[in-house]
This record gives sequence, structure tokens and C-alpha cells, in this order.
Amino acid sequence: MSQTLHRRDFLKLAGTLAAASLAASCAPNQPAPDPTSTLAPDSPTQVPPTFPPLEPPIASAPLAVIALNRMGFGLRPGDLEAFEALGSTDDERLRAYVSQQLNPDSVDDSEFESRYAAAGFETLHKSADELYADHIVSNPYDSNDDAYWEWYSKPAYELVEASFLRAVYSRKQLVEVLADFWHNHFNVYFWQDDAVPMLVSYNRDVLRAHMLGNFRQMLEAVAQHPSMLYYLNQNNSSDAGPNENYARELFELHTLGAENYLGVLDPNTIQKDANGIAIGYVDNDIYEAARCLTGWRVDDDLGDWEDGVEKTGRFLYYKPWHDRFNKLVLGKYIPADQPDMQDGRDVLDLLARHPGTARHIARKLARRLISDTPSEAVVQAAADVFLANVDAPDQLKRVVETILLSDDFRLTWGQKIKRPLEATVAMLRAVNAEFTRLPGAISWMTSLMGQQLFERRPPDGYPDTMEAWANSMSVLYRWNFAVGLVDNWLNDDDQQRPLQTDLRAQTPPEIRTPAALADFWILRLLGRPMSDENRQAVIDFVRQGYGADDEMSDDDLDYWGRSMATLILMSPDFSMR
Amino acid sequence: MPPKYSRRNFLQGCSYAIASMAGARLSNLAFSANNDTDTLVVVFLRGAWDSLNVVPPIDGDDRGLYEKARPNIKIPADALLRLNDQFGLHPALSPLYDLYQQGKMAVVHATGLNVDTRSHFDAQEFIELGTPGVKNTSTGWITRHLQSTPSGSTGLVPAVSTNGLPTALLNYTPTLSMNTPSDFSQWDNGTVVQQQEALRKMYGGNTLLEQVGRRTLDALDLVQPLVEQEYSPSNGAAYNDDDFGRQFKTVAQMIKLEQGLQVATVDFGGWDTHEYQNDGADGYMADLLSSLGNGLANFHLDLDSGYAERLSVVVVSEFGRRLVQNESNGTDHGHGSVMLALGGGVNGGQVFGPWPGLNNEQLYDHADLAVTTDFRQVLGELLSTRLGNPNLETVFPGFGGYNPLGIFRG
Repeated sequence: MSQTLHRRDFLKLAGTLAAASLAASCAPNQPAPDPTSTLAPDSPTQVPPTFPPLEPPIASAPLAVIALNRMGFGLRPGDLEAFEALGSTDDERLRAYVSQQLNPDSVDDSEFESRYAAAGFETLHKSADELYADHIVSNPYDSNDDAYWEWYSKPAYELVEASFLRAVYSRKQLVEVLADFWHNHFNVYFWQDDAVPMLVSYNRDVLRAHMLGNFRQMLEAVAQHPSMLYYLNQNNSSDAGPNENYARELFELHTLGAENYLGVLDPNTIQKDANGIAIGYVDNDIYEAARCLTGWRVDDDLGDWEDGVEKTGRFLYYKPWHDRFNKLVLGKYIPADQPDMQDGRDVLDLLARHPGTARHIARKLARRLISDTPSEAVVQAAADVFLANVDAPDQLKRVVETILLSDDFRLTWGQKIKRPLEATVAMLRAVNAEFTRLPGAISWMTSLMGQQLFERRPPDGYPDTMEAWANSMSVLYRWNFAVGLVDNWLNDDDQQRPLQTDLRAQTPPEIRTPAALADFWILRLLGRPMSDENRQAVIDFVRQGYGADDEMSDDDLDYWGRSMATLILMSPDFSMR
Repeated sequence: MPPKYSRRNFLQGCSYAIASMAGARLSNLAFSANNDTDTLVVVFLRGAWDSLNVVPPIDGDDRGLYEKARPNIKIPADALLRLNDQFGLHPALSPLYDLYQQGKMAVVHATGLNVDTRSHFDAQEFIELGTPGVKNTSTGWITRHLQSTPSGSTGLVPAVSTNGLPTALLNYTPTLSMNTPSDFSQWDNGTVVQQQEALRKMYGGNTLLEQVGRRTLDALDLVQPLVEQEYSPSNGAAYNDDDFGRQFKTVAQMIKLEQGLQVATVDFGGWDTHEYQNDGADGYMADLLSSLGNGLANFHLDLDSGYAERLSVVVVSEFGRRLVQNESNGTDHGHGSVMLALGGGVNGGQVFGPWPGLNNEQLYDHADLAVTTDFRQVLGELLSTRLGNPNLETVFPGFGGYNPLGIFRG
């Protein structure tokens, strides 16, 4: 009873907060008129029209279901029971699970590890140096040679497979959720010229190495990795004409976020905080930051024509390209002729310590881990932890922990839909699918849903709100994936990539009536009951002339039972989280 | 009609089901209102196309300034297709040059936003939401057009998007998002009819996802006949086997279905040319332009069998690029862009929009082509002259400076 009241009060409060923040961001924010623009600004009274709100989604779910769907890719058989065994109250269980997931080295992951070993990946153990030497230096570019392409792209393809294998089978589920989050945050594109094999190193040595560590260190590791240096054209940015691509996304996407972009304004007019740092950024900050970063490049002289450049594929600070003169970034003066790399590091320091960055990162993490519209309270709490631990080696772990132990996390449900990759992995887990090497059809199906792993081309990463994924093509291919998965149509024996699911074998022999069958599979696949109407739809589907409590024949149990489980995977209930 | 569909159609007896049984031709009665207005196709080029190389100055002082600013990436004057005394068209768009000369295509130069941003994502949102400077608008401009147009949007599929769901259609749940008709089919494990029946119940609520689920089921009925037959374009149109060809072909098929399609969106990325964008009239960007030109021209040809007269296409990108090239033989983010308008109601063969000039003091922020024509001028004129929607204040709230340029015939 008190739980219910608490929840209702909370929702009311959240609604008020959301309305307040909407009103604040609707407030007119007129840019200063530009002398060369011939256009008048809009009238300051503009208010976007509003339409009736959509019906709020499903009310609640057991905490175990919330935790397993947000800190991981949904339920595998046995997960609910394992969660329940973690303590005697919801609070105890959640704390224990969060602690376990945030300390992944403590998790026994032997089942996954033996499967990973059996997969026999050939390239994923290679260091960054080895990847570059083996797949780029020793594999000269020849666009018409299939052997070239196969060897060049093999590490990245193996990484896609290993990522699915981990997401489906590893018990370190939060690690996989965060690896996906950070790849999208610091997005690079699978097929980036010159960088394809290095994706393996980017994922392992940069994202996974730092994602429970320190943001500032992660930022520098990203800035110096060939995958990012190539992707955002930093690799050829020199004092002769800096390339602004990386610098702009560094501000807009990686750190401060567009919410702190003040536009094309004179930097001297921007308000400063107590430390003299600008409260937001303008275009000039990007130009100056780009100058600071000139000379940050890859050691990639494959043609042997540059002095002082080798071909190790490592980060290289190339002094001849560096703009040595003074700069001004976010109101901070950066003197001329600083030591090597200091200008760039000053920029990263300014950004990583900025309150705007703290809120941007906190909001994105909360959006991923909780809902499309996390409350201001949880965003601010996580941002405060970010700033208070800005030099701590486990800064990001503490931020994530704050979000996972928040009221928002445990008291909200159903306001987000699983992204396509999430839904795909969740289905593979729910039906306890058996595979070791991933059939090619899986990636192809996710591309039809609109989200292929590592293949987002623009630097903003795949969208993380439901409006982007609630469209007919994406929904239809969720349904098709469920059908293909349960009926083993995605299996690929020809390429020695079997994928098998046997739902009949997973149904207890005593379950023989339509109602029992429906209840068993609803609980097994969703971990919670469906609404009465949807449960009835499932029963009506499977009974096919039987009464709800009649015993079904073996053939009907197999044929209609299998299809009924498919239907549960296709339901809106399965997609919500 | 395959038997698996007949049972449900019989049971439901709804107009859409009858329509799809009748060979996907609804009577004109249902949609006569919509037949009076054009079908709008919005082509969004993501990444900010380099408008100064798409429609460069061909002569005069500005040509000199252009060449000086872009020593390595200028398009040679003798390679350009002459639009008028001032401007030329990139030669890779030659398929569109024919349409320009026939008066079916117009160019609007120095278009864009009246707010300051060089962020791709902000600028795309401002344009697609139709509310420059405001990012939390809950609907796209096309959504508001379809919700406010006096003729209504009662067709089974008022809107189609062929590359995910663009922000311009944000929260417009009737949108059919579909890569190609042949992809848009439900896999049948032998129980698809019963599954669809159950899905209709399960997706019976009004959450966003449930509304979309129901629309998906409706759309499956409509598109199914297209899945089962090979599409042959009219007039010998030959689409390239690329993403441009795929998207335009899909839209053409949906228009010819005559199911009251009012708006289609097609979407192409890859225009963010920070490096090595071209080599004279060839290179990376020329390849993109060639695919775009080919797709659009074939689309027009394909529909030039009774549909092209009621077709309006606009091509838009989020902003233009810096006048001065960078050291990587590319261009960084700029401001003023160029829009194209194409179709039966276009006053074609002209370049519209006041030209701001390329002198340093004429440039926006001393760096980029200035914006003299708000993108909403172009879209607003299109809405009121070709789409029968005078409710510009609803579609573009707060936009007070509406002043049509005469790009479209009323």
C-alpha cells in the first residue's frame, strides 16, 4: 500500500518536474542579430503547438524484471531466480546485483568463456600494433581483391560476432550495455577508411578499458585512437588549415553537448563561472580548439614519404603540423609554445571538468539506463557525482551506480522501448537460443530494423528515444525476427553457423492446456504477467477450438505452442522496458 | 489474393480490406479531396551539401572570389551547366539540367535558417521540426501539415518514409516507414493470419508503439499486392541499383498505388565533406550528386505518365559549407545553402532568391554564404500554392515573414 502511494506521488512529482523543465527550455532564447544576416529572427512569442499526449504505457514490473532489462539485455532462463536469491528484500537484491555488475571481475562467467573459446576467433586477441601491422601494413590496399577485403575487415567482423555472443551469454550484462552506450557516445563507423581493423582495439583498449573508470582519461584515449582520428578527420588537421570536424563533435557530442552550444557569438560576450570558464561554447571555441589539436594524428606513413613518421598505427604528436601560437578556449588563455600536446590536453581538461559536460553525460546515461525522459533529480544527482569525482579512477562507475540506485530506476517502467539491437539480443536470450558463431542473417535483420551494430555513419550514435524506433519497418522486422528465430529459419548450417531454438523441449511436460501454456510462456519470456486483454489474446490464439482448460494434442502443443511463444515475443509488452 | 489474406478480409469487411482485395485501387470518392493537391516529396541530404559547389558562380566578381577561396576544389567554369548569367550547375547533375531547361526545376540559392548554428544535428532538427531555435517541439513540420491541411489526411497511407522515420514526421503515427515494398512483408510460419488477428488486439491501446503496430498491420494489407509482382517503371525509367534508386523507386510505387499518398520523405547521408571532396568536376561528391541526379530524374520520368503534374519535390540540406576550403581539400561547416524545387507546378528554369554575394563583408560571420531566404519561405509557398494548406502559422509557428518568391504556380 505504501509502495503504491509512494509511486503515485513520485509520478506526480516527476510530471511537475518535466513540465517545469519543458517550460524553462521553451523560454525565448533570442540569438544576437548577426550583421550579415538579412533574415529577421522569429517573433519571440512562438510556442510550438501541442497535441493530446499519448496514453501512458504499462504501469509497473517486478524489480528483477526492471533490473534485468535495463542493466542487461533481458531475461535468460534462471535469471529471475538468481536475482531473487540475492537477498530477502527488493532493496537488498538490487544493491547486491548492482554491486555485482559494477565489479565484473567478481562474476563467474565460465559458461560464456568456454563458448567464446569454442568460437575460435582468429584476430580478437591481437594488440593494436599487431592489428595495424597484420591487417593494414602487410595487407596492401587492393580494392578489387577479395582476399584483401576479407583480411582487412576480418577483425571488425569478428568483433561484431563477439559482441553478440557477449550480449547474449555473458553474465556481465551491464558491461555489455555500457560498451554499447559508449560506442554510440563516442561513435565511429565500422567502414571508416584506413581504420577498419582498429575497431577491435578501439572497443577493447579505449571504451571497455575506461567505461567504469575516469572520463578525462577515456576522452584522451578516444582522442588519440586511430579509429577516431580517421573518422572525424583529425588525422590531417594541420596549422595550415585546421580541420574542424573532430573539434566540433568533441564539444557538441562527446562533452558539453548541443544544449551548451550558444551559437555564433563573440566569445568575449559569454558569461563566465567563478573560475573564469565560459558557461557554454561558441563557434570560436571550436576553431581555437581545432588549432590546439593540430598535429594530433596517426603514425601512418604507409608510402614512406614523410620525415619523422613511421607506420606503427599508433597515435603521433606531429610537431611540424602544430599551430604554436596562443589560443583562447572557453575563456581560458592558452599561451604560445607550450610543451608537446599541452594545448590539446588543456582543451580536454577544460571540457572534462565542465559542469555542462557532467550534466550531458549524466543525462545520456540516465536516458539509456532508465527512460527516455529521466527526472531532473536523477540527472543532477549523477552530474554532482561526476564532478565530485572528476579525478577519481572510478568516476564513471560511481556515476552509473548513482543512476542504478536512484528512485527513478526502480519506480518507473514502460516509458522506453528496446532499441532494435536490444530487442534482438533480448529475444535470443529469452528463448535460450543456442549458437556459437553468429549467422549472417542476424546482422542483416537488425539493419532492416534500422540499427546495425557499429554501422551508424553520422557521429551522433543511434538515437535513444522511442520516437526513432516506433516505425512500421522497425516493428515489422521485430516480428519477423521472432518468427525466424523460433522456427530456426536464421540457422546457417551451410556456413557452419548453426542457430537453434527448441521451445517444445523447454515446455514442462505437464503443461498441456491453452491457459497453462500461455501463462507458462508469458512468465518465462516476460518475467511478469500480461494485461488481462493481452493474456486473453494469447490464449485465444493458441486454443484453436480447444477450451482454455482442455488438454491439447502433442501436435497442436508443438505447432500452436511454438507460434504462441512467437506471438509473445511480438507483443508490445516484450518491446517495453 | 492469396488465401491466407482472404479470411481476415472477409471477417473484417473494412473499407481498407475491400480496397486491397480490389487490386489496390480505391474509388476516387474516398480521396477526391486529396487528388486536388500535389504529392510532396521531401529529399533531405544529411551532412550539409556543399551548395557553393552544387550551384557555383559562373561569372563576374563572385566567380573570382570563389576560385580564390577554393584553389583545389573549385568546379571549373567550363565544366558547369549554365543556369543563367550568374550561376552554373554541377555537371554531375546533368540529368536534372534537362528538367531545368524544360522549366520543371528551379533553384533557390542562399537558403537556410535564421538562427545561428553550425551543428548538423541542431540544424537538421530546426528544419525538420520547422521551429528554428526550438528543439523540444513534439511534432515535425510535415506532421503538422498533415494534421492541419483542410483536405484532411484520410488515406490509408498519407505519408511514406523510405529510410527510417525522419524528424519531419515526428509523432505522425500513420506514417508507413518502408525500405522497399518487397522487404515489407510479414514472415509466415503458417499462422500469420491468426497472428495478425491477435496482434491487432495486443496493439489495441494508444501508446505510440501500439498505434504504430496497428498501422503496420494496415500497411501490410496494402503493400502485399506489390510484394507479389515485379515493379516495372514507366517510360523506360531505369533506376540505379543504389540507395537513391531504391528510395525513389519505392516512392514511385506508392504514388502509383493511388492510396492517397500526400507526403513522402527520402533521405541520403554522406554529404559532410570535410576532406577530399572533389577533383575538379569528379570525385567523391560528384559521385553522390550523380546518384542523386540519376535517382531524381528517373523518378520524374517514371511518374511522367499522369502523375508528374501533381508532384512537387523539394531538395534540402541543413546548411552550406565554408566558402574557403580547408587544407584537406574539403570544406568545414557553413551557413547558406541551396534548395531545389521540381515538379509540375514549379516555375522552373530560374534561380530564385536574393544573392548575398561572396565579398568578405557580405559573408555570414565573414566566412560563409549568408542566408537571404528562410527555408520556410520555400516550404510555406509550396504548402499554400500546391498543397492547399494555408495554415502556415500551425505548420511554422512564429514565422511571421512569409513572402512568396513565385517559385510555384498557384
